[in-house]
Amino acid sequence: MDLMAVTLHVNGSINQVEADSDIPLLWVLRDQLGLTGTKYSCGIGVCGSCMVLLDGMPAKACRITAAECAGKKITTIEGLADQADHPLLKSWLELQVPQCGYCQSGQIIMAYALLSEKHDPSADEIDQAMSQILCRCGTYPRVRQAIQQASEMMRAKDPS
Amino acid sequence: MKPFDPERRDFLKKSALSAGSALVLGIAWSGEIVAETDATPEFKPNAWLKIDTHGVVTLYIAESEMGQGPFTSLSMLIAEELEVDWQKVQVEHAPLDPAYGFQGTGGSRSVRRNWKILREAGAVARQMLLAAGAEYLKAPVDRCQAQRSHITHRPSSKSVGYAELVGRAAEMPVPKGVTLKQPEDYRLIGTPVSRLDLADKLNGKARYGIDTKLPNMLYATIAQSPQFGGRVKRFNGAEIKQRPGIIDCFELEEGVVVVAQGTWQAFQARKALKIDWHGGKAAQLDSDNIIQRLSDETSQKPSLILEHGEPIAQLGSALKSVDTEYRLPFQAHMTPEPMNCTVGVEDGRYRIWAPTQSPTSAMATAAKALKALMPELSEAELEARIEIITPLLGGGFGRRIKQDYVTQAVKIAHHMKHSVQLIWPREEDVQHDHYHPLTQHRLRGSLDEAGNPQAWHHLITGLQSGKYGADALAYDIPHVRVEMLRLDSPVPIGPWRSVSNHYNAYAIEHFFDELARAGGQNPLELRLKLLKEARLKAVLQRAAEATAWQRQDQQRILGCAVHSSFGSHVAEIVELIRLDEHKLKLGKITCVIDCGIAINPDTIKAQLEGSVIYALGAALKPPIMLKNGRVEQHNFHDTPILSFEETPPIEVIISYSRLDPGGVGEPGVPPLAPALANALLSAHGKPVTRMPMKLNGAS
Repeated sequence: MDLMAVTLHVNGSINQVEADSDIPLLWVLRDQLGLTGTKYSCGIGVCGSCMVLLDGMPAKACRITAAECAGKKITTIEGLADQADHPLLKSWLELQVPQCGYCQSGQIIMAYALLSEKHDPSADEIDQAMSQILCRCGTYPRVRQAIQQASEMMRAKDPS
Repeated sequence: MKPFDPERRDFLKKSALSAGSALVLGIAWSGEIVAETDATPEFKPNAWLKIDTHGVVTLYIAESEMGQGPFTSLSMLIAEELEVDWQKVQVEHAPLDPAYGFQGTGGSRSVRRNWKILREAGAVARQMLLAAGAEYLKAPVDRCQAQRSHITHRPSSKSVGYAELVGRAAEMPVPKGVTLKQPEDYRLIGTPVSRLDLADKLNGKARYGIDTKLPNMLYATIAQSPQFGGRVKRFNGAEIKQRPGIIDCFELEEGVVVVAQGTWQAFQARKALKIDWHGGKAAQLDSDNIIQRLSDETSQKPSLILEHGEPIAQLGSALKSVDTEYRLPFQAHMTPEPMNCTVGVEDGRYRIWAPTQSPTSAMATAAKALKALMPELSEAELEARIEIITPLLGGGFGRRIKQDYVTQAVKIAHHMKHSVQLIWPREEDVQHDHYHPLTQHRLRGSLDEAGNPQAWHHLITGLQSGKYGADALAYDIPHVRVEMLRLDSPVPIGPWRSVSNHYNAYAIEHFFDELARAGGQNPLELRLKLLKEARLKAVLQRAAEATAWQRQDQQRILGCAVHSSFGSHVAEIVELIRLDEHKLKLGKITCVIDCGIAINPDTIKAQLEGSVIYALGAALKPPIMLKNGRVEQHNFHDTPILSFEETPPIEVIISYSRLDPGGVGEPGVPPLAPALANALLSAHGKPVTRMPMKLNGAS
């Protein structure tokens, strides 16, 4: 394990970090950059709590090294904080989706990526995307409703 | 027992004010250090609330917020009587203080035990504000009214805000008795109020225990004996200490600890540990033999839980009887936030961020751990050096009633003489849970000539099993015996959502269908005939109507179950859809609850949706299996929980009631598995004697 200098573009700011060559992005975000909104839960890429956007695509932060992310645009849940008016976040709050909230960064990031790619995902596409994020509290029915509602709002605003 | 830094509470008030006081609504985050300014007067009539000169109302909630919503529902109880502008309310986890009694969240008790106390706390404050407002308005108090954070003199409509009355109200005598509002006058209770903790759960600001960051904090993790009861023989500590980023590696009674500069380094070093263990006493035990072996070893006899009539004689002479045995496996909690605890060490004092369901137990646990390390100090002296801070919990489900992570974190911080965060990797969390116990249920029942249950005998054999859920048979059956052989367990056992109600309700409710079918009776109609509790009967009736119970055929098969627990009554109906001759899929699940007055109906619905999904996962997914005295599973890949796509549509119906509130976090769990098993019994004609169940084919 060698320490190396890595430049990370996170939520619009540039961060220089000294990182182990094999350290997953998750731990650089949490322990070095203090961005604790991205959560550790399984560490093996199964639960999806650590989902971030990498150049707009969903990626599990526990399964990619920080070094691999150099030069790429990383968006964490904190990076969506200024988008409280986004239909997805509005629906999420309106439908009172979170319970304990621990997995919700992963849920929101995944849903955001899904709707960014396609304003009107099919039920199967929603299933496929959202089944990658586990929730122990059982917020799934509301996650589904929030995505469907946001999708309707987005289509009403931007019919395509 | 006083926190060592009493001023810290005031930091929070100022941080809230500095953000502007127009709209507060949300959580006031503990641990944020904000520059101290001059103290401003405040009205703090009791331990539960405080109003400042900006009109900001801070409510102190002494229950852990783990998603079940007490920050909001309990705040509603205070606010209802206090007559405050809800937009000016902020909530904070109460400090550990004897004023709040025993601080422990579990047993779906939060609303029930705070129901009267919190409304009275609000009403007392309202009375003092009324007195202050009347004085300010120079009006008789009986002509004044409290509403939306104002005292108004009705005839003249002259009005003054709570903010202006803070100093004056604090001088008013505390009323001896207060009159509480009648349900028809409720303004907040019974309405779907947005949860105070949600906004920060959408933007990454919500702070869980694992998110605690202290200056120069070190990161620790632990490797505990895979075999229960095992002890460290030797380990490659010297080699581990050579790894980059590793500060220390040492042995504790519980296992081997690695301390590092970051979580990742600690986790990697843990993986590189080579530990020889002294075997534990559980070495020979497997899930398949543990009940038999422990039963053979014990000299204990089953203890009687319930008996009336002559069940044994009746069973001996019965014309028709059913005899069955169910075995239900160990289950893990799988809280999304793994066990962790952060200890700040400074000048011999310990600030402990414990994501715990019981701050009171965390304090006792920490003091006990330190007492062993510093026997010269008394318990009182030690407690004076400890502060317990309760952050948000990333799931609880009963796991965080236990305090093992607190003990370990305190020992590690003491050893390092340094602030440390202990995080268990998921693998440690799965293998060192305090599990839902494995239980076995022998059930015998007999029927009379008309096909009605005549005798009922239920023998529960389980590891530290409990009687709740089996101690009051809901049905009117003439001859009943319920008994339990509670075995000592070498496997750690703890409360799991709905505790013993889960397995006991399974046994009772599934066996009831076995008996009903043996007697040629419709199980739902037989329930309606024999249920003793009118409220339970009513929720079942409602569920039957909502699902059109009568409209069943080969394509649409329903199973029902009922259970009363934690002061609430629930009926659930599971629908199976036949896709073809060999294939069934889950249809809709319907859940009806009578929980008395529904404080925050939307939270109640969310809790029941969650309960159904939690229980469905336990019914269908691979459980925890014990093999050679250790847990075979490791992580979410081999201990899966229910996923998004596996979740069927769920409808929750809240039965309107004006009776005092019951619990809502757990009562939705017990009826689900038996309702599903009953649907499968109907579909396949065979009882479901083992979990996990299989929708298709016998299990």
